[in-house]
Amino acid sequence: MGRLIDSGLEQVRNMLVRMSSLAHEAISLSLEGYINGVSTYLKVQETSEILVSTSDEVEDRVFELIARFQPVASDLRLLKSYMKISYNLARYGRYALDISQIYEKLDGLGLCEDWVRKHVEEMAGKVLEMIRLSIDLLEERDVKMAKPLSELEKQVDEMYFKFLDKLIDETSGVTKCIISSVLVVRYLERIADHATYIGESIVYIVTGERIMLR
Amino acid sequence: MVMQYELKTMYKFEVEDLNAWFGSKQVLKNIRMKIRDRKVTAIIGPSGCGKTTLLRCLNRMHETTPNARVSGKVFFNGINIYDEDVDPVQIRRKMGMIFQKPNPFPMMSIYDNVAIGLRLNGVKDRKKLDSIVERCLRMVGLWEEVKDELNASGVSLSGGQQQRLCIARALAVEPEVILMDEPTSALDPISAAKIEMLIRNLAKDYTVVIVTHNMQQAARVSDYTAFLYLGELVEYGPTKQIFEKPRNELTEKYITGSFG
Amino acid sequence: MRDSYSIRRIKDRLMLILVWSSLILALIPLFSILLEVFFNGVRAISLEFFILPTPTVGETGGIANAIQGTLVTLGLASLMGVPIGLMTGVFLSEYGGSKLSYLVRFINDVLTGLPSIVIGIFGYTLIVASIGFSVVAASFALAIIMIPIVARTTEEALKLVPASIREAALALGIQRWKTTVFIVLSGAKKGIVTGVLLALARIAGESAPILVTMGYWRWWFSGFNKPVSNLALNIYLFAISPFENWRVLAWGSALFLMVLMLGINILIRVLTREKY
Repeated sequence: MGRLIDSGLEQVRNMLVRMSSLAHEAISLSLEGYINGVSTYLKVQETSEILVSTSDEVEDRVFELIARFQPVASDLRLLKSYMKISYNLARYGRYALDISQIYEKLDGLGLCEDWVRKHVEEMAGKVLEMIRLSIDLLEERDVKMAKPLSELEKQVDEMYFKFLDKLIDETSGVTKCIISSVLVVRYLERIADHATYIGESIVYIVTGERIMLR
Repeated sequence: MVMQYELKTMYKFEVEDLNAWFGSKQVLKNIRMKIRDRKVTAIIGPSGCGKTTLLRCLNRMHETTPNARVSGKVFFNGINIYDEDVDPVQIRRKMGMIFQKPNPFPMMSIYDNVAIGLRLNGVKDRKKLDSIVERCLRMVGLWEEVKDELNASGVSLSGGQQQRLCIARALAVEPEVILMDEPTSALDPISAAKIEMLIRNLAKDYTVVIVTHNMQQAARVSDYTAFLYLGELVEYGPTKQIFEKPRNELTEKYITGSFG
Repeated sequence: MRDSYSIRRIKDRLMLILVWSSLILALIPLFSILLEVFFNGVRAISLEFFILPTPTVGETGGIANAIQGTLVTLGLASLMGVPIGLMTGVFLSEYGGSKLSYLVRFINDVLTGLPSIVIGIFGYTLIVASIGFSVVAASFALAIIMIPIVARTTEEALKLVPASIREAALALGIQRWKTTVFIVLSGAKKGIVTGVLLALARIAGESAPILVTMGYWRWWFSGFNKPVSNLALNIYLFAISPFENWRVLAWGSALFLMVLMLGINILIRVLTREKY
């Protein structure tokens, strides 16, 4: 038997799915632009704004569902998690915007040494994979998928510190490149964190347990 | 022109300066409200605030109570139902009413309970009756449960089933509006949930007005909510707004349970 | 402590004995009548008793004409009394509350308490005076006895139909009179039938109004403007007659009437037992 709350839950879920595809689009666009030396700021800004407003809408809708349907147990967990997830997806958009802004202010990797470029590319690849994983997890709700997410996060973390170490030890490069790449790498590390937060929320929805994927 | 037409048909009821009395006691004071077509409108408020009376003024049932009196206008499809040349029987035929306690006719079978309204209004064709009875019982989700015992007494059903039977009975006379007076207050939670689901489904084809003392129920099923207090309409608006940010302090107090 | 307890117990016993003996005292006449009627009545029972009319002196006969006459009289009385009583009951229950209905209810109560001989005399002055002793006159008198009983029980039966049922019907857009006839009355069927039976049982045993409106008749039914034979009246007339065969028939008639009453009462019990 259907329930009154079901259509509302479905609606919020659809909003999140739409948000996740937008978030993925924003991050891959900004990274591509950054690496390949193309300005994406205006486009990413637009997407990011949509993400923020949709996130507000999700929050609004979740509050309405709580006020009107008095959800309990799995429904309540779901709504709580949906709110967190929508916040994290909005953050994806914000970081994408930050990355495309770095390009505007400090240029891309044009003045950097080769290894820097390679490192950033590799990290970007891993982070994009994490985002895809977090989105798949949201759609499939398969708790097993949380594990690779956790592993990837560790790798991204390691890469982040390795990059800093290497930068201190080896490089004598251009300041602009150093600042630019450090910031981007820092954002990538942050995005990876948010991907794990989403993973944690999904696990909470499914099992009701709070775990740490980091 | 099209806009105007839509505006006109958006509302099923337009209540203007409605007052109602029991003897010398005034129970409704200058009610003004417009009730939207094909939406669920809930009327909430503490006991004795006049919410049931308001509902009963919409189909002219209030005046069937001894010493009851009404003044003001209620436009239904643009016609004032309190005009002198309006026959209350005709008005009631267009509005199904569901009561607090399920009240199937006790000496009648399930089939007859649904068919009686049509029969007494002159429908004799057995085939037509059969198909209407089946359609109405299906609409309320009762067909599968009772199709093999249509000749059993209506009161042999469970409370929730009886209430759905009463809804089917009301639907059979093809009303445009369903008026419900605390339809789930005598039912267990599972039966009540079924009725609430049914109310949402009914709103696709009918205008539903529901009186309820259960605020959560109003929040769950309605699109618009009216809050009545001491016979006055305190606040009326989209349910989401009433329950998230009511404009009136009294409404806030009532729905947060910090009344008096 | 012990003493007061035993005193209390003795008092308790005494009360119990008192109550029981009163009961037995009250039952003695009842059973003696029943047994007397039964043993004397059984002697009269035979095939002839049921198929032959009133005999002349010394011959064998039966009460067939009295059974026929009683049925005709009761039937005609019901035809007059039941509809009027029913409608009065409907009026009191469905349209009550006005000053008029209080008055009607009051008159109804007075009518119930009126001695039946008074009603008989009323029938006499109204009908016998114009068309003579007849079935019509007797039925008229009996109908007047029926009306308040039927009206009262109908009103009570209709009041048992919950108001919510009437509201449901009105809200369906069913007119008031259709609601009353097809919904409310059909819901109170059993109670109303019980009331009618009760009234029938009452008038079946009436002899006083019969005496003044129809008188004695020992032949078969021969028209509504003529008298017919009547069981209750026969018991009285046969019992005081000097003829042995009539006195036997009186006992037989009494037994027959008693069994009839018993039957009606059992029927009422069966009907009311199932209610709600």
